[in-house]
Amino acid sequence: MRLVEAIPALFMLVLAGIIVFGTAGLNHWDGITPGARFFPTILAIAGSAVALVLLWAQWRGFESVILHFPTREAAFRVGTTVAALVALAVFTPLVGFIPALAAFMAVMLLAILRQRPLPSLAATVIVSGFVKLVFIHWLSVPLPMPLGF
Amino acid sequence: MIDQLLLGFATALEPQNLLFILLGVLLGQIVGALPGLGPSAGMALLLPLTFGLEPVTAVMMLAGIMYGGQYGGTLTSVLIAVPGEASGVMTAVDGNAMARQGRAGAALSISAIGSFLAGIGAVTAVALLAPPLASFGLKFNAPEYFLLALLGVLAIGSLGGSPIKSLAAAVLGLMIALIGVDPLTGTPRLSFDQPLLMKGIDFIPVVIGVFGIAEVLASLERIESVKPIRTRLRDMWLTSNDWAVCRLSIVRGGVIGLFVGIMPGAGASIASLLAYLTERKFSRSPETFGKGAIDGVAAAESANNAASHGAAIPMLSLGIPGSASTAILLAALILHGIRPGPQLMTQESALVWGLIASMFVGNVFLLILNLPLAPVFAALLRIPYVYLAPSILGISLVGAYAATLDISTVWMSLVFGLLGYAMIKFGIPRPPLVLALVLASLMETSLRQALLLSFGSPMIFLERPISALLLCAVALAIVLPVLTAIRQRRFAERMKRGAR
Repeated sequence: MRLVEAIPALFMLVLAGIIVFGTAGLNHWDGITPGARFFPTILAIAGSAVALVLLWAQWRGFESVILHFPTREAAFRVGTTVAALVALAVFTPLVGFIPALAAFMAVMLLAILRQRPLPSLAATVIVSGFVKLVFIHWLSVPLPMPLGF
Repeated sequence: MIDQLLLGFATALEPQNLLFILLGVLLGQIVGALPGLGPSAGMALLLPLTFGLEPVTAVMMLAGIMYGGQYGGTLTSVLIAVPGEASGVMTAVDGNAMARQGRAGAALSISAIGSFLAGIGAVTAVALLAPPLASFGLKFNAPEYFLLALLGVLAIGSLGGSPIKSLAAAVLGLMIALIGVDPLTGTPRLSFDQPLLMKGIDFIPVVIGVFGIAEVLASLERIESVKPIRTRLRDMWLTSNDWAVCRLSIVRGGVIGLFVGIMPGAGASIASLLAYLTERKFSRSPETFGKGAIDGVAAAESANNAASHGAAIPMLSLGIPGSASTAILLAALILHGIRPGPQLMTQESALVWGLIASMFVGNVFLLILNLPLAPVFAALLRIPYVYLAPSILGISLVGAYAATLDISTVWMSLVFGLLGYAMIKFGIPRPPLVLALVLASLMETSLRQALLLSFGSPMIFLERPISALLLCAVALAIVLPVLTAIRQRRFAERMKRGAR
């Protein structure tokens, strides 16, 4: 069993620890009423138990772990897409949802997925137009529009 | 009662009401098909459209949005694996798997037919059985709700794949639901003084992240090999075998959906999960569940539509909403100056029976709209995936923002997208996480209320007959998978020894 295979179980154990630590100031019982820490404690115990059983099952070979990690090229594509999504979230309050979305679409199609310019720009216009039409004009959702569009 | 129902039909079939039922169903379907916006969000967004209408017309239109939105969510579940609400999670798993096999049309057709038949059955039940069924629903109290939710979480472990990993995902979902404030006392909990966390983790960013974003990220790894899904016209129609497989699934799903829908607070998500799990037990090919089982789609969709209609029973007869959507319907009644409660059926009988009749009419509209349009919707999958992927990501994030009007929801969606991607990489199933997140609040609140009722004594779970029955089911749900695993292990060892 490789260490990387144990990550999910270790993650659960860390989460259980965070729950115990994060609810330290709360009560298990408030008189006869179960308190705010009651259910979290049960879950921390359950989470630790499941994590330990998972570790044991993986160590004994009862649980097969098949990890499909991406190739370098695929990992680059996923990584740059995540970066583009983060940029979309960062720029939305600054420039508005529609311009940020249009930029995201263009960057994704032209720079990351290397598609032909004309269909990429057409897709960018269609998706941005769809969002503007449906969310802003029809549903009147107040999407951020600091630049006025 | 027949006279009242006929009077209801006379109201529902007035040209103006017919028009608004059709409008409601159409709008509901469009809003429900937008990622992140389910029927309840759609009803809330479109509620102002009904302000100038007569109360009966307004309620009919809103009810149309409710069940239209339920079906609209099916479109995104099947086509891009992003359910609009938790009740669409099972459809997202099997319906999308069917779409990837080129059977998107069949998945949409069986969803429309199952929803229609179960919907009509449920509305008939609303008309016939409202008073006695509502009183059965009221027998459920905190202990029964807790055990029902626990049973749901344990049953998630049998969804397919590794039971331990499924359970780990479910516990993770329950842990995520702890963040925010304590549901009973309002004390901040696990928020670490961060305003963003104090609001708690909403269902929408989790489902958009874990299903939508994670799925697209995983598919970007092999985007060169992702071909547009071919949807041929002949694949749209259900085969005689599909019919044979799905007939009873629709009946079972509809019955489960109706009963779960009647119980206040249980809702369409528990109904679709229970129906799906039940169907897996009845299925001749349970191994196909999770990989594109048409009977799984039929059961889940029938159940969630029947539940959304069934939730109208406590709403109409007692003034207690059975789901978020019926809560908005109730709010609309109040906004239109109508007092909900037990007196509603007598004082506003024209409205109540008009609403019930409009549900029959609306379900017919949904079927007429959706069967011919299934090929059109499925044809969306012919767009090259390389263009669909960024569009899904972008529109999903707009949907996430629109649901809460808060940019933090977009950030949450991204975080859960990365978590979902990691889960795919480590082979951890994602539906249990989302379903447990939905059940968590019901589970915690009812456990604590049950212990409060019994002054801390766990014996309350044994003393009540329905609760004792549910406890036996919980015990079986724990023991059976363990026994099965031991038996399989012994069998494998015997086979290995035999081979030597």
